[in-house]
Amino acid sequence: MADDLDFTTGDAGASSTYPMQCSALRKNGFVVLKGRPCKIVEMSTSKTGKHGHAKVHLVGIDIFTGKKYEDICPSTHNMDVPNIKRSDYQLIGIQDGYLSLLTESGEVREDLKLPEGDLGKEIEGKFNASEDVQISVICAMNEECAVAIKPCK
Amino acid sequence: MICVKAPPSMVNNEQRQHAEHIFLSFRKSKSPFAVCKHILETSKVDYVLFQAATAIMEAVVREWILLEKSSIESLRTFLLTYVLQRPNLQKYVREQILLAVAVIVKRGSLDKSIDCKSIFHEVSQLISSGNPTVQTLACSILTALLSEFSSSSKTSNIGLSMEFHGNCKRIFQEDDLRQIFMLTVEVLQEFSRRENLNAQMSSVFQRYLALANQAKSCGEKPTESWRETLLDSRVMELFFTVHRKIREDTDMAQDSLQCLAQLASLHGPVFPDEGSQVDYLAHFIEGLLNTINGIEIEDSEAVGISSIISNLITVFPRNILTAIPSELFSSFVNCLTHLTCSFGRSAALEEVLDKDDMVYMEAYDKLLESWLTLVQDDKHFHKGFFTQHAVQVFNSYIQCHLAAPDGTRNLTANGVASREEEEISELQEDDRDQFSDQLASVGMLGRIAAEHCIPLLTSLLEDRVTRLHGQLQRHQQQLLASPGSGSIDNKVLDDLYEDIHWLILVTGYLLANDTQGETPLIPPEVMEYSIKHSTEVDINTTLQILGSPGEKASSIPGYNRTDSVIRLLSAILRVSEVESRAIRANLTHLLSPQMGKDIVWFLKRWAKTYLLVDEKLYDQISLPFNTAFGADTEGSQWIVGYLLEKVISNLAVWSSEQDLANDTVQLLVTLVERRERANLVIQCENWWNLAKQFARRSPPLHYLSSSVQRTLMKALVLGGFAHMDTETKQQYWTEVLQPLQQRFLNVINQENFQQICQEEEVKQEITATLEALCGIAEATQIDNVAILFNFLMDFLNNCIGLMEVYKNTPETVNLIIEVFVEVAHKQICYLGEAKAMNLYEACLTLLQVYSKNNLGRQRIDVTAEEDQYQDLLLIMELLTNLLSKEFIDFSDTDEVFRGHEPGQAANRSVSAADVVLYGVNLVLPLMSQDLLKFPSLCNQYYKLITFICEIFPEKIPQLPEDLFKSLMYSLELGMSSMSSEVCQLCLEALTPLAEQCAKAQETDSSLFLATRHFLKMVFDMLVLQKHNTEMTTAAGEAFYTLVCLHQAEYSELVETLLSSQQDPVIYQRLADAFNKLTASSTPPTLDRKQKMAFLKSLEEFMANVGGLLCVK
Repeated sequence: MADDLDFTTGDAGASSTYPMQCSALRKNGFVVLKGRPCKIVEMSTSKTGKHGHAKVHLVGIDIFTGKKYEDICPSTHNMDVPNIKRSDYQLIGIQDGYLSLLTESGEVREDLKLPEGDLGKEIEGKFNASEDVQISVICAMNEECAVAIKPCK
Repeated sequence: MICVKAPPSMVNNEQRQHAEHIFLSFRKSKSPFAVCKHILETSKVDYVLFQAATAIMEAVVREWILLEKSSIESLRTFLLTYVLQRPNLQKYVREQILLAVAVIVKRGSLDKSIDCKSIFHEVSQLISSGNPTVQTLACSILTALLSEFSSSSKTSNIGLSMEFHGNCKRIFQEDDLRQIFMLTVEVLQEFSRRENLNAQMSSVFQRYLALANQAKSCGEKPTESWRETLLDSRVMELFFTVHRKIREDTDMAQDSLQCLAQLASLHGPVFPDEGSQVDYLAHFIEGLLNTINGIEIEDSEAVGISSIISNLITVFPRNILTAIPSELFSSFVNCLTHLTCSFGRSAALEEVLDKDDMVYMEAYDKLLESWLTLVQDDKHFHKGFFTQHAVQVFNSYIQCHLAAPDGTRNLTANGVASREEEEISELQEDDRDQFSDQLASVGMLGRIAAEHCIPLLTSLLEDRVTRLHGQLQRHQQQLLASPGSGSIDNKVLDDLYEDIHWLILVTGYLLANDTQGETPLIPPEVMEYSIKHSTEVDINTTLQILGSPGEKASSIPGYNRTDSVIRLLSAILRVSEVESRAIRANLTHLLSPQMGKDIVWFLKRWAKTYLLVDEKLYDQISLPFNTAFGADTEGSQWIVGYLLEKVISNLAVWSSEQDLANDTVQLLVTLVERRERANLVIQCENWWNLAKQFARRSPPLHYLSSSVQRTLMKALVLGGFAHMDTETKQQYWTEVLQPLQQRFLNVINQENFQQICQEEEVKQEITATLEALCGIAEATQIDNVAILFNFLMDFLNNCIGLMEVYKNTPETVNLIIEVFVEVAHKQICYLGEAKAMNLYEACLTLLQVYSKNNLGRQRIDVTAEEDQYQDLLLIMELLTNLLSKEFIDFSDTDEVFRGHEPGQAANRSVSAADVVLYGVNLVLPLMSQDLLKFPSLCNQYYKLITFICEIFPEKIPQLPEDLFKSLMYSLELGMSSMSSEVCQLCLEALTPLAEQCAKAQETDSSLFLATRHFLKMVFDMLVLQKHNTEMTTAAGEAFYTLVCLHQAEYSELVETLLSSQQDPVIYQRLADAFNKLTASSTPPTLDRKQKMAFLKSLEEFMANVGGLLCVK
């Protein structure tokens, strides 16, 4: 199991995660499960026999897809924790299904897709109505996605 | 009508449902008596008969006030005769008809219109018939009456208050119950005289036995009227005889033992004097011993017998117990000893076999608890009376918990060892909690027989230490010889760990008590034991044994002339030392975290009681104790150093074992939470190292889980309040708190903080700071709150800035709110007005920022709802904490702050209510109905708003319109579509609101209008809807206050209801009921007496009208 993990996190890029002893993980924190950045929604321990050492049972939800992952490992084990980065941008345009976003430092980035579903429609609606909105973007393990909007006051 | 029970081949589902529907509406139809009688007399279909009986029962209750008493009477006679004439009725039909009879009798007792006595006369005639079938019927009648009258859980739902049921029960117990019991005893007497019972007789016998049991259990506290019946020794003998006769029948034995257990708990006015109590007890014990001695107890008897013994010991006062003939008492105690040991062994077998039903464990628990009761108050017995018995029970407990050859743990009955490694989840309680009652009893018995038990534990432990040491060494050599050779059989080690585990638990419970809050005292038996031998003891050797945990005790010259209690402690230190050495030899993977937990658990328990013993608390103090761990001794300084070293080593090595780390850090808190101990702790260099290391946030301490880190922070802060000279104190805070502040300020004051705030190291730094703040808040005590509050306040203001920076990072936002919750929780009660104001303001700003950042924000990420739920839950908690200031307030106008802040006038008068209401205003728009589906959030929310209405009703009318509307809407929602708990809360909120309106006398305020709407809601709820009777009180109070406020509207509601009735009889009865309801309170005023009278009438009103309006 351990080997598997090392293997999969390998191609996600070394700098996008850092190791942490399993026991120091926290509920509501993040962890890489099966190569995916997950939010920890459940964390429990067990042991084999009364005098055995603790094992940690983790349940996480993929922060991008919502898929559920589980893992169990010795509590001394190091787990990878994804670096999670959140940014807010001002929406300045939508082109060919991509968002045009203005960063705080005044640069424009246009590499982020308009999300599918309700949020995407909401963004388009607000934009077409020329409302000023801020877009929150979450980024982890070289993946990025718009997750929230808020009207600018 | 046959469709309901017809086989599937004959009818389809739809037809079946249709048929069921017909029955249901039939049961609700008006005055179905004639039809039902006709059905009962003509139909041959059981199910139809059953439905007819049910319809009668429901209709009688529903239409009670419409019926003539004589027709009720004749209905009852009809039903009884009906059953008597049809011996072959299906059981369920018969019981339903008898239930209808019982309900009629019970409802009748409310207006005293039906006489019970005639029933008993009829029944006793049935019994004397000698015909088993008729006797069975009589038994059924009695059982139906009994269960209808006796317990509130079994009573039928006839729309009456719990109080009514309670009254019925009381009246019934005084008289009728005894009649039932006597009738039953008669039958049993007759049966017990017979040599052989055929199957039918025996089943009748069983029914009556069960009835006797039930009857007896209703009369929990028999009055004088029972005297003649219960003190008649033939009654007691009868039950012993009956038990001997039927003890092999599991079901019947259950009943007969329960009867005996009830006789064993006889007390109160039934005894005319002490003499009769002594006679009764002696007689009972004789009967008991005659029954148990010389028989092999059946599995099914174990629990019953131990209940009998436990009742005798718990219920009969010591002076009565000692007044029985002394030989009899000795036999009784011998029997108790024998049974305890034997049940203990059987319980151990049950554990090995992993049985689901642990009857012997239950029986053993009861007996051990009886021992505790018996010996706790031992001044009635001569000294040493129980010693030998205690030795036996103690030995057998130890034996059952040790592995072979010393013990029998995990051995099956034929001596085969069984060993299974099962998966244990974190939810499984630790043995020290799961078996705390057993351990407390065994510990107590160990104290009584200290002369035997303390040396026994010592030698068993010392032996295990030596073996554990040897075993670990062998493992190490094996590892060195062939590294990586994989599996080593751990059986020997595991056996040793398990032995040590139980020995430590027993030692912990023997040497010290569980305590909450107060200062635990050294148990007097232990103190006496040490004092008694102190003249034979060599103090220096004792100190040497204590101070050299690395050496074998027996290798120290003169080791037998040492204080036994200290030697027992030092045996555990030796276990601890073996553990530490194994860690240093890199054998941690072979160690048992469970044993590690046991060690620190014991040390904490021990330190609380023994370390720096306070001479003032004892009449006499043991010289060895005083020398070894008294104040200002080398011994205590040494042991503090030793414990600290253990803590530091554990935190480094066992960070991955959450429970062990937690127990360890709790030991540390114990060491510093009392100032005398803290004074010693801060003299250790290690303590300062720990503080520095933690402040550096370097491994290994930052591997610890967040809760452990918080507690560690708490301990470090508590240590800072030890006695130190100013310079040292200054230095200490420089080491502990200042780095926290410095690091934090360094991060947030960087010019590019906005840009780097999402970098991982920055986020970790922030998280660690916030966690530490929670830990600091946890360390709050009345004497340090001034310093800690000022320190934390600086942070809180900065945290608000963080809320802005991390507005899109939910886990950080959540943690920031948690800091506020903790500070408010721990400190608000100590804060004077000015400080409280500071905190209120900070909380308000926090909420404003939160609200600004979240209003109108839409998230789609997977955890959005969960995040929001957690935030709001914390905010509710924060507001509730702030509100708690209104009723828990230890502050003395900033007295604790005096000298810290001279001359600041606190003349603003913002109350907690203003802050809380403002807070509610901010978060209310965020509370969606979806979020209210989280039960804990929903409850917390409604608790908060009820709280507000109760404490500050005068603030409600002044609320901004939107907030006011949402609040009223919330109440309405809570009353109509939430759980009954929430509904109750809302009803409780209405009374103060209505009272407020009455006080203000403004008939155009929006609150006044709102309460009018609530009057209609509560009216409908009480009169028209089926509701939980438990709610009647809250609803009634609200209703009355609302009626007072809106008398005209109330009359209108009544008029409208009445005018919709077409049946003139119902109209009249309803009108009468409404008149009666308000008769005692016209015109209704907010007077307590009137209100009480109204509530009483309401009850009757509900009984009379409750079902009437639901009729089709």
